[in-house]
Amino acid sequence: MPHFEEIYPFSAIVGQEKMKKALLLNAINPNIGGVLIKGEKGTAKSTAARALASLLPEGKVVEGCIFGCDPSDQNNLCFECQKKAGNFSTLMVPMKVIELPISATEDKVVGSLDIEHALKYGERIFEPGVLAKANRNILYVDEVNLLNDHIVDVLLDAAAMGVNIIEREGVSYEHPASFILIGTMNPEEGELRPQLLDRFGLCVDIEGIHDADTRVEVVKRRREYDLDSHGFCNRWSIKEQEIRAHIISTRSLLPSVTISDEMIYMIAQICLDMAGDGHRADIIMLKTAKTIAAFNNRTEVNEDDIREAAELVLSHRVRSQPLSDQQMDKDKIDESIEKSQKERQQPEEKEEDTKQNQKSQENTIPDGSTTTQFAEGSPFKVNQKSITQPRRIDSFKREESGRRSVTESRDGKYVRSRIPNQLTADIALDATIRAAAPYQISRRGKLAVSIEASDIREKVRERKMGNTILFVVDASGSMGAQQRMTAVKGAILSLLIDAYQKRDRVGLVVFRGSGAEVLLPPTTSVELARKYMQMLPVGGKTPLASGLSKGLEVLQREMMINNHTIPRLILISDGKANVGLGSDAPLQDAIEIAAKIKDSMISSVVIDTEQGFILFGLAHKISDEMGAKYLKLEELQADSIVDAVKRIGVI
Amino acid sequence: MHHFDDIYPFSAIVGQEQMKMALLLNAINPKIGGVLIKGEKGTAKSTAARALAHLLPNRDVVDGCIFGCDPDDTKSQCLDCQKKTDLKRKATRMRVVELPISATEDKVVGSLDIEHALKKGEKKFEPGILAQANRNILYVDEVNLLNDHIVDVLLDAAAMGMNFIEREGVSYVHPSSFILIGTMNPEEGELRPQLLDRFGLCVDIEGIMDADTRVEVIKRRQAYEEYPDNFLPLWTGEDQKLRERIIRAHELLPSIIISDHMLHMIAQICIDMGVDGHRADITMMKTSSTIAAYYGRAEVSEKDVREAATLVLSHRMRRRPFSEQQMDSRKLDQSIHNMQQPHSHQHTHSH
Repeated sequence: MPHFEEIYPFSAIVGQEKMKKALLLNAINPNIGGVLIKGEKGTAKSTAARALASLLPEGKVVEGCIFGCDPSDQNNLCFECQKKAGNFSTLMVPMKVIELPISATEDKVVGSLDIEHALKYGERIFEPGVLAKANRNILYVDEVNLLNDHIVDVLLDAAAMGVNIIEREGVSYEHPASFILIGTMNPEEGELRPQLLDRFGLCVDIEGIHDADTRVEVVKRRREYDLDSHGFCNRWSIKEQEIRAHIISTRSLLPSVTISDEMIYMIAQICLDMAGDGHRADIIMLKTAKTIAAFNNRTEVNEDDIREAAELVLSHRVRSQPLSDQQMDKDKIDESIEKSQKERQQPEEKEEDTKQNQKSQENTIPDGSTTTQFAEGSPFKVNQKSITQPRRIDSFKREESGRRSVTESRDGKYVRSRIPNQLTADIALDATIRAAAPYQISRRGKLAVSIEASDIREKVRERKMGNTILFVVDASGSMGAQQRMTAVKGAILSLLIDAYQKRDRVGLVVFRGSGAEVLLPPTTSVELARKYMQMLPVGGKTPLASGLSKGLEVLQREMMINNHTIPRLILISDGKANVGLGSDAPLQDAIEIAAKIKDSMISSVVIDTEQGFILFGLAHKISDEMGAKYLKLEELQADSIVDAVKRIGVI
Repeated sequence: MHHFDDIYPFSAIVGQEQMKMALLLNAINPKIGGVLIKGEKGTAKSTAARALAHLLPNRDVVDGCIFGCDPDDTKSQCLDCQKKTDLKRKATRMRVVELPISATEDKVVGSLDIEHALKKGEKKFEPGILAQANRNILYVDEVNLLNDHIVDVLLDAAAMGMNFIEREGVSYVHPSSFILIGTMNPEEGELRPQLLDRFGLCVDIEGIMDADTRVEVIKRRQAYEEYPDNFLPLWTGEDQKLRERIIRAHELLPSIIISDHMLHMIAQICIDMGVDGHRADITMMKTSSTIAAYYGRAEVSEKDVREAATLVLSHRMRRRPFSEQQMDSRKLDQSIHNMQQPHSHQHTHSH
């Protein structure tokens, strides 16, 4: 693919050794199964993925085959090559990086009817798509977490089977589609579906370099490249050649790498301890460790290779609570390694797992006016009944966990087409022409293409739909009393985890002192929301009305931009408003805004944090005005609902 | 009605020095990566963008090429131009291509040319806004109100300098390198931080509080609208001077020296300010070099770095609750001050 400018050389990327290693290991051994590069913005993720193209080794292909079939792999030949039955010439071509743009539509990904051929000859033949080009190559998806759900489904299907099966527009076809998936993403932009995550053999997390000298080097090289990209690439060509040569020599060494039973045992133990079900991790770790050994010019896998492989293979597979910084504990790997060594020595004895899961919580005591930051209370499973409000949202159904629901609408993203049920204004012209194409020879109209009603196809558009949950959090001084804020943070965290599992959008509005602020506009990145929440300071007065009005404003705008979202507001406060919107009646101001929220069809939940012997019940009052579901903070917890029921029973 | 040449002159814009500077720097060095202008409506943002296009010197394009390819740079040309041997050239003014909020994805990235398909029975790519924007200015008003998926494709193209299409029956790739000018009113919602980062520079429009200056704004606007024939010639001289300055600075740019000391200062500032990744460092390097070129100096000075820092960092700072996303100028001073102490830091750099 042309790039219209010189690609920045791989070897000239400063630092980020782990990322570079992961990419190279894949170039050496395609069976590792790709790599996902996660990292903050501006850390050369995409640069590295694109630069890899020029380092890739050559492979043997059938000449003229669009799928680049491997002549020595009889079982995976495409139809055309099978027909030729060995009567073909072969060619050495370098592996390619095929890019999948996030704006891609389904027909171009899986392939479709060849329009031109159909128009000219009235025959249906298959026109290959991105998956065909990707066969035996690298499929690169930049911003992979922004890819459309439907396209992800198609990718996953092909990746799982290594075959792309097409049944559409009267074309039946099937071709090999086995590719190395490389993806880059910024986790702040949203998460990746677990099924897709698991498709990546390796995963690396990268961040910017903090050392000043190294940063200067980054800038210097960039400057040289900008001033004279051609000269720059020439200067690095020797380095590039060296890496290429190393890839080739490692490749030829790879088949002779051996691994002892002891080491295989170690791999199994590590995976058992850290990754749990399934054997994918074990197998990939074995392949990766072997490739690392070969990379280091050895023919025997050692402990260090396994350690290095474990980091690359497990980081995205570690069983973890959502949001609990999916990070791998290197100590834990060591522990596993030790364990496997011990068990090898005394296979009879079985160790008891004695893990201490108790974390001590230390909290600071608030002191009135000054602002303090509180620790998060530990998360709990959110009682579903407690926050689900039957009214107004029951028309909206979705699965308990996993994928977001997708609605079809005119203003979404065009992903595929279908035969319309009734008259449609949203005609998918490309698909319509494809439908009409095979009949042109018999129809013969004035135009080159004559279209009949039965040809019409309409666009299927998708846009992400789900709840937009806006937390409006009281961070005034009164919330600091008796560890309320710790409990509140625990509650928000739990709700965030819930939102993560359902892929909702979340936002955060905080009020304290003299006003309210949108800390985080609605985003799909729950991780980002959590970061902001952690930094939340507490102290000052309670401008409840400002908080609610800011919340209303944010949700109204959200409804304007994305009219398919279901807005939900969660107010967390004790309701003790003492700063109004200019009037002397702060509570009255808050009540007025609450009524407006009700009128705007925003479903809401009020979580009352009030505590103590004398209860004012102000939050309850606000809740009534807002038409909200009212809950005490304690009632949010799934297991404590039992207590709540009991309490009601007693009184 | 004004005809094409009656665009409000750049040099006649009152005040807004920072915005004008940011625009000029992008004109001198398009690799800075565009500018995001934050401010209320009616603050001359789009006037300035249009005025900038008018100010820029004509450049040669391949005659008849929809992408306006550069006839002298084969590598950057579209696939059609690369195939042709005899390219006709034509001097053309840079254009401001506008991306409306209502734009659909197919209009932005391009799609199947339906008319051609129906009439000729052939597939052909119909270029979208990203095609027109190549080598021009892409102006996006209210970028924060744009649909998320449109913003994604837009910034993808901006980052790669090309547009890559696999949709609606067509596969196509074409160059799409443009100066991105976005505007937003922060009161109507923020932009995702990762998108903010893609804009090279960011400026806040200052409200003009001085009565005399406000009067001057009104007077000039009135003169422009009512008597353009008298008003416009008054500014041709100023505009011409500025145009020449841009050309000179552009020529000077490749030879600007930036010392290791200055590069260290840039790195240290970015570390102290806690920005993510390396885009800020790189943009600050480019911007300070361009500033030096603008002032006709051969070497980047501390003053240039300081000026660049304000333009580059304001939108890249990590926001903390209840603090404005703002550059802390004291912190910046501190960073620079630390770098001036020869013994506190190691300036020598090994290769």
